[in-house]
Amino acid sequence: MNRALTVARLQFVGWRSVVGWPWGILALSFSINLALFSAMNENDDFEPTTGGLMSIYVVMFVASINAITQEFPFALGLGVSRRSFYLGNVIHFAGQAISYAAVLYLLAVIEEATDGWGVNLRFFGVPFPLVEHPVLRFLAFAIPFLLLGFIGIAIALVFKRWGVNGLLMLSTVALAAIGGLVVLATWRGWWSAIGGWFADQPGWALLVGWPALLTLLLAGLSYLTIRRATP
Amino acid sequence: MEDGRPIFLQIAELLENSILDGTLAEESQVPSTNELAAFHRINPATAAKGVNKLVDDGTLYKKRGIGMFVSPGARAKLRGRRRDEFARQYVRPLLTEARKLGIEPAELKSMIDTWEEGR
Amino acid sequence: MSAVVTVTELTKRYRGVTALDGVSFSLAEHRIHGLLGRNGAGKTTLMQILTAQNFATSGEVSVFGQHPYENEQVLSRISFIKESQTYPSHLRVTHVLRAARLVYPGWDEELAQRLVDVFQLPRGRNVRKLSRGMLSALGIVVGLASRAPLTFFDEPYLGLDAVARQLFYDHLLADYAEHPRTIVLSTHLIDEVSDLIEHVLLIDQGRLLLDVEAEALRGQVVTVSGPVAAVDEFTRTGTELHRASLGGTARATVRGDFGPAAHDRARSLGLDLEASSLQDIVVRLTTSHNGHAAGSTAAADKEAVR
Repeated sequence: MNRALTVARLQFVGWRSVVGWPWGILALSFSINLALFSAMNENDDFEPTTGGLMSIYVVMFVASINAITQEFPFALGLGVSRRSFYLGNVIHFAGQAISYAAVLYLLAVIEEATDGWGVNLRFFGVPFPLVEHPVLRFLAFAIPFLLLGFIGIAIALVFKRWGVNGLLMLSTVALAAIGGLVVLATWRGWWSAIGGWFADQPGWALLVGWPALLTLLLAGLSYLTIRRATP
Repeated sequence: MEDGRPIFLQIAELLENSILDGTLAEESQVPSTNELAAFHRINPATAAKGVNKLVDDGTLYKKRGIGMFVSPGARAKLRGRRRDEFARQYVRPLLTEARKLGIEPAELKSMIDTWEEGR
Repeated sequence: MSAVVTVTELTKRYRGVTALDGVSFSLAEHRIHGLLGRNGAGKTTLMQILTAQNFATSGEVSVFGQHPYENEQVLSRISFIKESQTYPSHLRVTHVLRAARLVYPGWDEELAQRLVDVFQLPRGRNVRKLSRGMLSALGIVVGLASRAPLTFFDEPYLGLDAVARQLFYDHLLADYAEHPRTIVLSTHLIDEVSDLIEHVLLIDQGRLLLDVEAEALRGQVVTVSGPVAAVDEFTRTGTELHRASLGGTARATVRGDFGPAAHDRARSLGLDLEASSLQDIVVRLTTSHNGHAAGSTAAADKEAVR
């Protein structure tokens, strides 16, 4: 466990770029939106959200791929075990997800209090007004970080262990599975039932519950994959 | 280290040479194995082996916690031993080569005298 | 002396290629071992398996008495510096050193800083912008300053000039003398390291050809030249590794237990005798079994040395 904490700190030695990239890009996206909204006249249509918040999640996704392609060979070269490396990464990403979500939550609160920064800009607000409980709203910021992080780790690990062919195989299988399900759903006329199911789900389940479950599944599969990965 | 002989022998011989020519006086301290290793760019264990060879034959002795020193009387002893080796190492090949060229021992002696005078 | 590494019948096969073929040996504590062999002989694969970065197909590996795979106790005592080491692209030289300091229990920061100055590494430069030689120097700094009880250097000098390589050897020796540890130096610049290493492992095509003390090897292989009949007579006392002849004169490289008496014997046969350097020995051994040498299979070679 100590060793895993060491790895988490190891990931942070170049902390300026670790923190700088996601927030720098988010700040850029935010200032562009802010400039646009101030230039525009009073907006009649109420935009649910600009989508600019996605940028920080995309950066984190890229960072998680880097964790496997770049940090993994480096850490193993320094005599770190795969287990410690993996645990250290979980700590590293969970730590970032929690602290970043806290900041985003705070910014969303400010956004609401200032009527969208005075220009009716909804940048940080969670798109689903269904999530009301403060803890759930916080988790709605945090969980997607983890989900994207583990999707990145899983994809990079498939590449690490099975190369380009592995990735192609994975994409093919995923496409075939999704396509098959779509065909099946259309053929059996399940779409209204599926739509109903989604509609019945509370907002927290769609933004927090199901993503958390998927994250756990990916985390488990990734751990099994990294155990036999070579740098 | 140059030739193909074991390095520890070469180290021992270098130390012997220093003792013979007086660079290392009797009762004076010998460089440590680490110093020898760094200077000659050799493995410290090899340097130690060379030094230990001289300890075993009594040329050097160990002062606990301080280091290695040249034994009293080491120089005279070394000189005696080197003289014996001299015949084998130098005189014999000299005679072998001379024989190849048809130089008689008497002629060889006069050649040595001529060289000695010309110095 | 206790063994830090024990390898038994280690075999590694990649699809259709046998990188290591039943290799067995052990490494004694606190020595500098030379792991020699041509490119692609299996040296790197061996070190990757010993450091649990790669997996063996069969055979046993024990490091500090345990299997290294996922073994923190073992891994934290190993430093493996390889030519192909990559660094996360956002790191600077100081970041890499800070990372190493976090990880290695025996890290000596003062030594690391001194070596950075010795090799004139630009502390603030991004690793992507380092020259090949600077990257090698960075690896060397990490390898030496980590003071790991078991340190592997896998061809650590790519892009380094002769002066920088000599600096590496000097600092390696000096630090090793003060802080004895087990070092494995994999290289094909054999002449440069032949005086540094105490024990030689020679690998060729995945097989272990030599596992012998460097000093024992010195003088064991000699080259004699002179009349064919005399050369024939002399080579009867050893294993002939190589021969070239011109008219009635021959030159043969022979391996055997040659003492001062052998020199005298050569002389009395009218032969010139020359001891072979470690580099010559390695070249002869790794090329001789391609055909023309008499009876020098790997097994026979190993026996002759012992």
